[in-house]
Amino acid sequence: MTKITVSDPLLLPGVDLTNCDREPIRILGKVQPHGLLFVLEPDLTISQISANAAALISRTSESLLGSGLDTIMPSEQVAEVRKHLFNEQNKYIRPIPITIDVENQQKHFNGVVHGNPDGLLILELEPFVHVPHALGNFYGLVQVASATLQETQSFDDLCQLIVHEVKRITHFDRVMVYQFDEDGHGTVIAEAVEQSMEPFWGLHYPASDIPQQARQLYVLNWLRLIADVNAQPIDIVPSLHPRIGKPVDQTYCFLRSVSPVHIEYLKNMGVGGSMSISLVREGQLWGLIACHHREPIFVPYEVRTVCEFLGQLFSIQLGTREESHDFQYQVKVKSAQFHCIEMLATEGDYVSRLLATEDILTMTGAQGAALCIDHTIHLIGQTPNEKQVRSIVEWLVTNNSQDVFATHNFSKLFSSASAYKGVGSGLLAITISKGQGSYVMWFRREIIQEVNWAGNPNKPIEIDDNGDLRLMPRKSFEKWQQQVENTSLRWKPYELEAAEQVRNAIIGIVLRNIERLASVNADLAQSNSELDAFAYIASHDLKEPLRGIHNYASFLLEDYESILNEDGVSKLNTLVRLTQRMEDLINSLLHFSRVGRVELAFSETSLQNVLTETLALLELSLQDAGVQIRIPRTLPSIVCDQVRIGEVFNNLIVNAMKYNDKQDKWIEIGYLDETPTVFYVTDNGIGILEKHYETIFRIFKRLHGRDEYSGGTGSGLTIARKIIERHGGHIWVRSIYGQGTTFYFNLESKIEL
Amino acid sequence: MMIKHTRLLLIVEDSDEDFEATLRALKKSSIDCEIYRCVDGEDALDFLYRRGKYFGEHNKRPSVILLDLNLPGTDGRDVLKEVKRQASLKSIPVIILSTSSNPIDIETSYQNGANSYMVKPVNYPAFTEAIKSFEDFWFRVAVLSNDIL
Repeated sequence: MTKITVSDPLLLPGVDLTNCDREPIRILGKVQPHGLLFVLEPDLTISQISANAAALISRTSESLLGSGLDTIMPSEQVAEVRKHLFNEQNKYIRPIPITIDVENQQKHFNGVVHGNPDGLLILELEPFVHVPHALGNFYGLVQVASATLQETQSFDDLCQLIVHEVKRITHFDRVMVYQFDEDGHGTVIAEAVEQSMEPFWGLHYPASDIPQQARQLYVLNWLRLIADVNAQPIDIVPSLHPRIGKPVDQTYCFLRSVSPVHIEYLKNMGVGGSMSISLVREGQLWGLIACHHREPIFVPYEVRTVCEFLGQLFSIQLGTREESHDFQYQVKVKSAQFHCIEMLATEGDYVSRLLATEDILTMTGAQGAALCIDHTIHLIGQTPNEKQVRSIVEWLVTNNSQDVFATHNFSKLFSSASAYKGVGSGLLAITISKGQGSYVMWFRREIIQEVNWAGNPNKPIEIDDNGDLRLMPRKSFEKWQQQVENTSLRWKPYELEAAEQVRNAIIGIVLRNIERLASVNADLAQSNSELDAFAYIASHDLKEPLRGIHNYASFLLEDYESILNEDGVSKLNTLVRLTQRMEDLINSLLHFSRVGRVELAFSETSLQNVLTETLALLELSLQDAGVQIRIPRTLPSIVCDQVRIGEVFNNLIVNAMKYNDKQDKWIEIGYLDETPTVFYVTDNGIGILEKHYETIFRIFKRLHGRDEYSGGTGSGLTIARKIIERHGGHIWVRSIYGQGTTFYFNLESKIEL
Repeated sequence: MMIKHTRLLLIVEDSDEDFEATLRALKKSSIDCEIYRCVDGEDALDFLYRRGKYFGEHNKRPSVILLDLNLPGTDGRDVLKEVKRQASLKSIPVIILSTSSNPIDIETSYQNGANSYMVKPVNYPAFTEAIKSFEDFWFRVAVLSNDIL
């Protein structure tokens, strides 16, 4: 057991992995007690031996050191051992049946020989156990199992079958298929277990459960049996090899004793004996078939060989089955992607089309998506909120220049993202327009929400008698959520590819839209200039004949008034008045069209000055009307076109003045402390019914007779609204009918000076 | 030395009705002046340069020009520019009398040297008043370059 000393308690959380990883499990110098281990010299004399020879073959281990093998077994069996050790052709023929005479009784053993990494020759013996006929012979077992394996359809069926098959032939209480992910964390994906026991199916185990050097041994040795976790390990004597002076390397030994940490781990789980069969894919440890038994269990060599063979068969299947498992998912992704792109190819608004389909989530295997197009955000499924998505857009604009950006741990890059790790630990974003801040994003939830860790993966640390910190495997195997925070499942290459395809499709649409927009703009420019021409025609060519009519009516009145009767004079006067009204309307229309098109002259402007000037111009009319002006506080400065805003004040004040039938008339001009600032013009006039709140802004729309309330063309509010809208602001009205009206407006001018 | 002589007012106006209204307003005052009307810009320039149908005639140099802007063919804007460009003509006051209240027209007219700008209203009394003021100022108050011999 490696001890570590930690002076800084803050370092503790990082301790567990490396500690186990350093544990020298190959050279513990002990064996499990149910078998014998010999280290042989080339002449087959014994240079090291496990110290349990007395128990197994009634010879003291010390007495055998330096003797030849032939002192304990018949010479033809020694020849067999020699053949296996030195003849390559016999390498894979196992085991060698060994018979040893123990106090006049023939004891049968299975012998396995191999050379270790230091070049030492090793012979391991374990007692031969007869396999009952009910189980069948090796060939029978393998034939049935492999035939059934071939027949299974799905990958899940395959996993289920193998655990049941292994359980059937080995009699373990629990057999599991345990699969590792990219980070080495394991998941129980199939299980056959006694009904009385708590199932482990679906549980996740942290990578630190199986330290690195143990994983290497699993790749080298495809089967590992721990017959009795409570058995006392037996020393190999002498502990160092006399010739090379090192403890014997037991990399390939099946009798190798178990790491005390692992023993403790198994005990905590209530395991008495265990076996694991490696599942290897392309030379990498893909997973394990893990077998647990509450009692000690010895699995005969022959059965182990079948299990190992099944493991190899399964490993071969892994490649094709897992690929096809993934392939089915890929087909789903592809079809969703195809569907999305197909919809994008049709005419119309692509945003609403993407919103209308579940496929957008399916195509990348995401739980949520956000479409951030032209500063508008649409959310689908489980996503961060709109404000958070906007902050992601800002982050992407500043930090990302890739067309397709993907992370399964976004908060590592953008710390604010931890606020919504539950839905957005994984982010996949495609850039539509960096300049416009247009992106399509997909979100994946934090993996922790799906994972039930088996026990606390942060192994508790105990302090041993020497006061050193020592790592202990956890005591409890209840479900415990691992604090692997902020990460989602990784984005698969073909999911990224699907996102990129969608990006290409959207870019295509955007480009088509830009072309269309350019042509619409050209049309618009054309019609704008036509509108200019029209305005000019209205101002000149229509007015000229109008003036003619007016003038000639006036001439008639001047020259022939004396010979016309009263009725005739009245009719001519009406004609004159109507021509003047017509001119007013034409002038208003002209002014309105000019206000909408003429470029605004923005500058920092004191609205108080603008108001003062406006009031000065209106002074006489205000006096005539007997209106009191109230200005509670000085108006602030703001960036605007001062002439136009003066016009807005003028129009609002003139209206307030005109539509007032009270004895004591007043108008108040002020502002509210809001962002942006809201200005208001309030009066105690006749008021406006709510149903007219919108219509009053329509050009030439009047609520009263033409000559009531001192007339006017009915364009003042329309022009005021046009001016305000051109400043990026709004105007609205609130009124109590009969008591007064307030016009509010703001100028959300985004012009930078 | 100043001497009294009859001043010539050149009115450039294509509309007969407007011309009549102008004439009618002018007649209301007692100021004595000669009036000549050109119906378009080309006619006006021919008159000023004594060319075309005016070739060989000894017509007077106008004391004041009352100029409409929108004219068929060569329009009032061109006439204004030409008069103010020509050394022999630029001292003649040019008063624009136009239907247009377009700020661009007003601005460019003054830029090009117009001496005054009047908008024709659809209001006969106001129009009469405007013409009277014009006549009063240019034919009674103002001293013009033509007066100095």
